Amino acid sequence: MTSTSQAGDPDTKSVRVAVSLAAIPRSRGWFRSQTSRRLGFGYALLAPAALYVTLLVAVPFLFSLYLAVSDASVGEQMAGFVGLENFKAALEMDTFWIALRNSVVFFVAAAILKSILGTSLAFLLLQNFRGKKIVRALVVIPFTLPVAISVLGWKWMYDSQFSVFNWVLSRMGLIGAYGTDAWPVWLGDPRLALIACVLVNVWRTFPFSAIVLLAGFTSVPNEVLDAAKVDGCTFMQRFHHVVVPMIFPILMVGFLFDTVFTLSDLSVVYILTQGGPGNATQILPVLAYQIGIQAGNLGRGAAIALFLVPLLAPAMFVFLRNLKRREY
Amino acid sequence: MTLSAHGRAQSQVTRRQFVRTASIGLAGGSLATMLAARQAPAQVRGTSLRILTWSHFIPAYDTWFDKFAGDWGEKNGVKVRVDHIPHLEIPARMAAEFAAGAGHDILFNGSTILTRIYYKTLADLTDIYDQIGKKYGGWIPAARSPVDVEGRIYGIPIYYILLPMIWRKDLFDQAGLKPPDTWEAARIAARTLKAKGHPTGIQFSHCNDANLNWRSLLFSFGGTETDPSGERPTIDSKEMREALRFSKALFDEGMTPEVFSWDDASDNRYLASGIACWVHDAISAYRTTESTNPPVFQNAHIGLEPAGPGGKRVSVSAPNAFMVWKFSKNQPAAKEFLVHLMDNDKEGMVQSTGYNMPFLNDTAKKPMPVIGADPKLQVLQDFPKIVAFFGYPGPYTTQIQEVANLFVLPDMFTRVARGQGIDETIKWGVGEYQRIFAKHKRA
Amino acid sequence: MSTSALARPRTVRQKETRRYLLIYAAVTPFVLIAVFPIYWMAITAFKQDPDLYRMDNIPFWFNMAPTLKHFHTLFYQTNYGSWIVNTMTISVWVALITLLTAVPAGYALARLRLPGAENTGIGIFMSYLVPPIILFLPLSRVVAALGLQDSWWALVVVYPTFTIPFGTWLMMGFFKTVPMEMEEAARVDGCGFLGAFLRVVLPVSVPGVLTAVIFAFTLSMQDFLYGLAFVAPGDQKPVPVGVPTELIRGDVYYWGSLMGAALLVGLPVAILYNFFLDRFIQGITGGVGK
Repeated sequence: MTSTSQAGDPDTKSVRVAVSLAAIPRSRGWFRSQTSRRLGFGYALLAPAALYVTLLVAVPFLFSLYLAVSDASVGEQMAGFVGLENFKAALEMDTFWIALRNSVVFFVAAAILKSILGTSLAFLLLQNFRGKKIVRALVVIPFTLPVAISVLGWKWMYDSQFSVFNWVLSRMGLIGAYGTDAWPVWLGDPRLALIACVLVNVWRTFPFSAIVLLAGFTSVPNEVLDAAKVDGCTFMQRFHHVVVPMIFPILMVGFLFDTVFTLSDLSVVYILTQGGPGNATQILPVLAYQIGIQAGNLGRGAAIALFLVPLLAPAMFVFLRNLKRREY
Repeated sequence: MTLSAHGRAQSQVTRRQFVRTASIGLAGGSLATMLAARQAPAQVRGTSLRILTWSHFIPAYDTWFDKFAGDWGEKNGVKVRVDHIPHLEIPARMAAEFAAGAGHDILFNGSTILTRIYYKTLADLTDIYDQIGKKYGGWIPAARSPVDVEGRIYGIPIYYILLPMIWRKDLFDQAGLKPPDTWEAARIAARTLKAKGHPTGIQFSHCNDANLNWRSLLFSFGGTETDPSGERPTIDSKEMREALRFSKALFDEGMTPEVFSWDDASDNRYLASGIACWVHDAISAYRTTESTNPPVFQNAHIGLEPAGPGGKRVSVSAPNAFMVWKFSKNQPAAKEFLVHLMDNDKEGMVQSTGYNMPFLNDTAKKPMPVIGADPKLQVLQDFPKIVAFFGYPGPYTTQIQEVANLFVLPDMFTRVARGQGIDETIKWGVGEYQRIFAKHKRA
Repeated sequence: MSTSALARPRTVRQKETRRYLLIYAAVTPFVLIAVFPIYWMAITAFKQDPDLYRMDNIPFWFNMAPTLKHFHTLFYQTNYGSWIVNTMTISVWVALITLLTAVPAGYALARLRLPGAENTGIGIFMSYLVPPIILFLPLSRVVAALGLQDSWWALVVVYPTFTIPFGTWLMMGFFKTVPMEMEEAARVDGCGFLGAFLRVVLPVSVPGVLTAVIFAFTLSMQDFLYGLAFVAPGDQKPVPVGVPTELIRGDVYYWGSLMGAALLVGLPVAILYNFFLDRFIQGITGGVGK
């Protein structure tokens, strides 16, 4: 690598000398050291991605920050500064608190379900059995269908009259017949609607969680596991003390991705209930869209949409930095 | 796709051409001459026109409209392109075009009317509005409100969609019931027929039909949404209380809890499944049963808006209008096309199989195209006198649009149906209205 | 299966069989959950309309003869053919752009020990926090400035904003699994940094690169809002935008065609996805030594 010295025998020394001697004729102009070349190369490689993200995400993000502190409307997107007015107005809104609560509940419920389902599926896929590849192939499909269309399919499956779930459950005797009070109206009962939306989100993304977990499990070296077995650890102990710490970085990043995607995803609720019935499924992104775009009040919409960012960003930053430390 | 590259190149060329010819042509062609001559002046030849409209419920109407626009374009040397997206997604698209400062020339607004939000960037269409009105017997009274801002007109109302009563005559006859001419009769019918397995349903949810239906009920009961100036919400009234009470009774006696999950299409499905004894819905519900459930189609009848206890009838409808961006590079062609479209108002109504209700008095004269001839649909001709929009009797303002976007009024009815007290609900509703109105005043 | 065999599996084979049965029993619910809605959508795509609207009909199978009518509508009365071509073309381009940006960036962050790299990497990742419902407005200005409004090229420019961050992270993982010695050997041989990257590291990481490609491909098919905001002409839309916007008219949903449209585009991608699943797993694992 570079010419830092290491304790070594004369042979390696001479090799290193040879290397640096060989290196000297290659340097030209001001590319003096390997370090500056490495850095130059590195930043050049990094530049396209960094530029792309800066221009198309960071700059628009600053613009949306500006929107959140202005009284802009869709018809007047350069407007006056109003400070934290929009945030105050949001906090005064009944619906905002409901949306915030629902967003958190949605996220937590979905995360729990995805962890359970994902972990179980990952364990199963670790085993060797015939047809494993087929199972893996089938289980991934929910993730690959375009979301706007697959959620529409669910809308039909939850239909108050024609729901296939109700059809099955009522014929099995588990729920009442159509027309009675014991016939669940998935998207119309405030108690059921949010769970219904959560289930769709889980259905769509638990394959992804399972795959990430599977990746983690397969990355634990067998030697370590065997050593633990030899030491007399039970399955659960192995899991807690060996596997989890080793796959923690992967879990963390997967979890973070999922957090961000779930909290900012409006498609499921937008297509299924539009936030109803009576705000039972209202979540922050849908509310922001209804106020900011459909009603045109951009300033307040932006404030609502960005509300969670100041909370999430530092948390993510801290997590990711710690992650890096662990790896190195 | 090479098609798009070609198209883009072409419109760039024609834009350049337009700038050249416009400076020459402007001197010679005034709008009045243009209207009188019924042909686009030289200045619009060789230009392009882009129209954004919704995916009409009647696919045949879209086919006709696209051809209609294309034919006009050919005759006048204008390259016309029509794009279709769902009406609920148009606000997002408008916001994007505004942010970009570029996009279509003519834009459609349906149900969500954003004139007052964008008027500073919309072309002033007062001249053609007046001209068209004068030519065709005037506009119906409700026409002006969605497009008027401080006396100037920023859009041309093209048609509105009605939600009449659609009821199953066979079921009513079997039970010896009178037609649902009043809300009371409708309630009694729902109660009687629910016992026989045929309840009714109105959406208690976050959807456009809920906004329309509950307002129809409220206004027919004599209630109002704002005062005539539009500044003050007036939903805290005796009539609102009666309407809420009535809706709770209607729900308890004549509906099932599934209505809380309904969207705009659910009542269509309800009717198509043969269950509904009546629905309060656009005639799209009736027409689709022709293919999905012919017996229902034969037995369903259309009724006038039911009367409230005071005998009043108000049918709240969804207005649709075309607007022109101020940054459009082809305003003259846009205006000329809109005039041409309204010249063929009757034809448009025919092509929509009677779905589009006219804003022009001439077209609304009996017998109206299509619905005048169909015995079942004739009653629709009586609707123009009783049609109203959000905010009645006040104008269609930005704050009313936001109230509609957040489904405040349907939420009030939902709360009461779920058991919340009427006074408590009204207090909540008034609070929401006032908060929204105050924000808009602030901004 | 005799109870005694279950109770006391004595032979290895019996143990194996029992194990297999348990696994299959456990796996079945998952497969059912994942696949049932797909099956449902498939059946709906072939059902006649009146068949859908009868409450006493069995939903799982056909009560009236299956029909190809919806597919006919799809291909002849909408621009579905164009939508599929658009979707595929857009996805290919986006995958390419993601490749050209995320792969180098991933390598730089993983291997070149750049100061500030950590924070840059985190910053790139955090771009996911910006909600698309706000982002699309300034982006439409960018799109218009580039003259790309109403062409699917607008989407090619915009989609990488959400494929690049994850792609970068994925490639970081892959590159970390490439043994450092290989690179060093290459440099000792006189390759230089660029040479080492191109001639040694990349060839070994082809699986990882392919994984990033397929992931970018899949993500490109998930968007609805950007497509709606930037592309209005019917023949320019990709499938996820065209299908809901033109098969839902007013309050009428063309269920058969809607479901058919989803399947025709989703299933091939799912199959493709599976070829690369092993690599995907390997890539995610990259940060942890094996």
